[in-house]
Amino acid sequence: MTRRNRHHERAERDGEHDEPRVADGGHERPADTDGGHERSPTPLEDVGAVGRAFRVEELPPLSSVARWFVTTNHKDVGVLYVVTSLFFLVFGGVLALLMRAELWTPAADLLGANAYNQAVSIHGMVMVFWFLSPLAFGFANYMVPLQIGAEDLAFPRLNALSYWFYLFSGLLLGASFFQEGAFSGGWTMYAPLNVPVYTPELGATTTVLALLLFVASITVSSVNFLTTMHRMRAPGLTLRKLPLFTWTILLTVWMMLFAFAALGAALVILTSDRVLGTTYFAAETAGGSLLWAHLFWFFGHPEVYIVFFPALGVMAEIFQTFSGRRLVGRKWFILAMVLVALQSFAVWMHHMFLTSINLQVKTLFMITTIGISLPFDLMVFALIYTLVKGKVRFETPFLFAFGALALFILGGITGVFLGAVVLDYEFRGTYWVVAHFHYVMVGGVTGLVGGLYYWFPKMTGRMYDETLGKLHFALYFVGFNLLYFPMFVAWETPRRVFVYDVSLLPWHQLSTVGGFLLGASFLVMFYNLTRSLWAGDRVEGNPWDYTTTAEWAVPSPPPLENYPEGTPTYARGKLEFLAPSAVRSLGRTGADGGTDEASTPSTDGGTVVRDRSSAPVVPETDFDEGGHDEHHASHASPWPFVVGVAAFFALLGLSGVNEGGLYLVLLAVGLLLGTVGFVAFGLEPFHVPEMVAAERWPFAGVENAKLGVWIFLASDVVLFGAFVGSYAFIRVAFGWTAWEPVPHDPFPGLVNTYLLLTSSFAVVLALVAAKRRSRAGLVGSLVVTFLLGVAFLVNKAVEWQELFHEGLTLSTGVRTSTFYLTTGLHAAHVVVGLLILLYLIARALRGGYLDDDRPVEYFGLYWHFVDIVWLFLFPLFYIF
Amino acid sequence: MFELSSSVGSVTAVLQAGGDVRTPATEFEAIFRVFLVLGVLVGVVVLVYMTYNAVKFRAGGPNTAEGDADRPRLGELPTGSGGGRKLFLSFGLSAVIVLSLIAWTYSSLLYVEGDPPGDDALDVEVEGYQWGWAFTYPNGYTDSTLRVPADRPVRLTLTSRDVFHNFGVPELRVKADVIPGQETDAWFVAEEPGTHTINCYELCGAGHSYMSADLVVMEPDAYETWYAGTDNSSEGSEPDGNETTSANGTTTANATLAGVLP
Repeated sequence: MTRRNRHHERAERDGEHDEPRVADGGHERPADTDGGHERSPTPLEDVGAVGRAFRVEELPPLSSVARWFVTTNHKDVGVLYVVTSLFFLVFGGVLALLMRAELWTPAADLLGANAYNQAVSIHGMVMVFWFLSPLAFGFANYMVPLQIGAEDLAFPRLNALSYWFYLFSGLLLGASFFQEGAFSGGWTMYAPLNVPVYTPELGATTTVLALLLFVASITVSSVNFLTTMHRMRAPGLTLRKLPLFTWTILLTVWMMLFAFAALGAALVILTSDRVLGTTYFAAETAGGSLLWAHLFWFFGHPEVYIVFFPALGVMAEIFQTFSGRRLVGRKWFILAMVLVALQSFAVWMHHMFLTSINLQVKTLFMITTIGISLPFDLMVFALIYTLVKGKVRFETPFLFAFGALALFILGGITGVFLGAVVLDYEFRGTYWVVAHFHYVMVGGVTGLVGGLYYWFPKMTGRMYDETLGKLHFALYFVGFNLLYFPMFVAWETPRRVFVYDVSLLPWHQLSTVGGFLLGASFLVMFYNLTRSLWAGDRVEGNPWDYTTTAEWAVPSPPPLENYPEGTPTYARGKLEFLAPSAVRSLGRTGADGGTDEASTPSTDGGTVVRDRSSAPVVPETDFDEGGHDEHHASHASPWPFVVGVAAFFALLGLSGVNEGGLYLVLLAVGLLLGTVGFVAFGLEPFHVPEMVAAERWPFAGVENAKLGVWIFLASDVVLFGAFVGSYAFIRVAFGWTAWEPVPHDPFPGLVNTYLLLTSSFAVVLALVAAKRRSRAGLVGSLVVTFLLGVAFLVNKAVEWQELFHEGLTLSTGVRTSTFYLTTGLHAAHVVVGLLILLYLIARALRGGYLDDDRPVEYFGLYWHFVDIVWLFLFPLFYIF
Repeated sequence: MFELSSSVGSVTAVLQAGGDVRTPATEFEAIFRVFLVLGVLVGVVVLVYMTYNAVKFRAGGPNTAEGDADRPRLGELPTGSGGGRKLFLSFGLSAVIVLSLIAWTYSSLLYVEGDPPGDDALDVEVEGYQWGWAFTYPNGYTDSTLRVPADRPVRLTLTSRDVFHNFGVPELRVKADVIPGQETDAWFVAEEPGTHTINCYELCGAGHSYMSADLVVMEPDAYETWYAGTDNSSEGSEPDGNETTSANGTTTANATLAGVLP
């Protein structure tokens, strides 16, 4: 790779299209052997004092509280995720214990109906969204870069932003309890119970907004992980060679990207119904109730695998390590997971077997559902056979992983019952379902708890107490089965009720006892881990025999930039740490995606010796002359935190925007703070070093930021797809031909089509001008694009004004609701585009982008996408 | 433990097993039994096998090979162990079991999905609302208790007045989603006179736990007499707060609800 590209890529990695560092770029120079000098000091003239003011020079030490607010390092963020998710485990667990306490007697005595329904709903949401995936992604944040040989994620500040969105979405959820009560319609939020007619509490709106912020966090995170895992693998680490935990995360984030976009669409529509008064999910809307079920379960079923896959990865790693055996049928195991990930988007209607969908569709989804269960059989057997001829050590991580497999098997068998539609008819809405999915999901939790013990020494450099660990497992396993197994016996209990048949009393009391035992077992864990953090035995590197993955080849905990002994590479078939230049020259031959490396033969490094210990290989030569430490990568930025706070205020304000008063103030404060945060985020110089060589299949030719934009747009396609699908679904239920377009005159829409198409040409001209280094041409073209965009919005505003005048408002009916919301979502995309354009124009005026036109190109991708969406919306909403 | 799980339904199951009418209830019981037996069998075999292997090959045990010649090493590129044939054999076996089980149940599904047997089915329209049930008979009479004749198929057409509910009579194994703006249907046969409870199986708001009603199965003659005395009034519907005490002495939804809800 040329130096220029490498240089610019760094600048682009964080999604900011105009790093100040580009000022010294732009000249094609051959790469030299020195891996470090491209990080020479770069002038900050073009951001000036403003930029410097926003800069955090150094990451504060671990002991400093400030560190945790500004850190962008993947390991710090990983720790934040783990700790926060455990907090939410306690939150969701307390809600569960409240429910179990209420169920101690068959009558209503402890909680009122509303309190119980809130506990049921928020327990489900907290555990599924705010605990399970975030715990897994704490591990993923920490371990995936280490396992693939990257120094950090592709966009470290966006990673911090994901975390702060996650934390503040959880706090927003907590706040909802104090606004007349949180959402009480179940975690599935079935329509029309989810609209204000039936759940008028402000807190219910806040719950929905909290989920929406969580979706934003997941989307940012998915883009980040996908870019990282596709573009930043050590040489030799092809996709097929990825460690199993990393494999599960890769598939998980792909599923997340699309599934959460569908949930995002559902939540945007729901928010609009609750705040703006559209009527998608109103009881009167034909098909509205079913629409929600389709949208929710299109997300909801992949979500099952999204929460379970990482646990599966952890279990596979632990099984291999603690049996001293490589996974049996590894490639089939991976293939099975890939099949599940693909098929997960084609099984959602099995949650709707009792709705009015017809027999043919039911049969189809019965077949896909049974089909998706079969790969899991293979995975289970692969794990079991891995033990054969092993050297199995029953230490705490293995106990949990082994227990998780046992629980998952029971969950799987009881799931086959549900796959038989005739049985499903009767199990629907009963404790059979409750027991089944707790065996699967909490079975997954069991695996993740094993991961917590497994990686605790890695993350802290201290060993936990083994006896207490085993005690935890014993209490946990007994408590778990005592809690959930009686539910199979008492399966006739309807879900989410607090009064039940007296004959079921003993089973529910057993269950309650088990629940408290399960809760108590976590007290043992918290005590153990907290105490071990200060007083545990020190672990220098690797406490476990037979580990294979790279995170164990570095110190515990790893230093800030992960690899003190050199740059990791697998180019010669095993993990080695070499000087960057040696890696680069090796990468030329060994890497599948590294062919764009225009490297020259190295002169240093390359000679390696085998260490006596289990640490594989250390370089003999000193490669540090390349200035490895001369320019540190940036690890600190306060702006993700600020944007997170802003999102909290803005969404809290939005929840009560129709109330006015304090809520308007909150909204204004949030928006203001958000503006400051985003602008500062954009101006802040932030440096992420580029990997000297990497596996990049299949995206070798697409640089990180561009890939990030592509991946984001892929999720945006699903978002718009869900909106257009919703429109079509409602229109079919309404009667396709009886439905007339809301604008009786398509002319304004036609004009807008021309305006947007012309603006797309203007963006192309801007890119051409930038390539020709014409500042005037660039600025002029960008300004033309901006003006065309503004004209589009003005035209739309006039059109809407007239329609409002005719009494066609958002609340008039589903026709107007779908029209305003879908085209409104598109208009919001145009507004965002215009804001980016303003920023581009301001920077172009000062001579930006002439040396590096890629930000203009990336903006163009987005803008063309927005235009293409309009080409679909115009005929759908104006003509047909 | 598993035997106990069906204890609630077993009384009705035994009663119905005597008759030779295939009803949703008999179909369910037959299939559920087979699944339970096979499920317990497979579960026990697999769990015992995995535990046996884990213990057999424990570190330091007699079956564990000494030396680390072929053990995983730190920094190696991941590969798998052999044993693919055994893996596929087990996988194939489990797939055959699962697929044949599901295929076997498919004819039952077709039967339950189809029209009820005979042509004398009683049609009742069911409307769910927050929080109760309204049953409308062919003559227009509406009541909050569902009265049906024994031994005659009953076909329900269900919809909701407000939110998403789910209608279920666990003892007769009949269940259907109740969705505003949509119609669903279900059928059942109650073979013996008696009283059953109707529950809501979808969270529908504060009164969800109390959204039950009685299904009274009458002798055919008694039913005909009762039905002849009804007209298209709806005096029994939506008994807001009035005592509707059913045959077995439990108080139904609406009476209780008044005391619980704010």
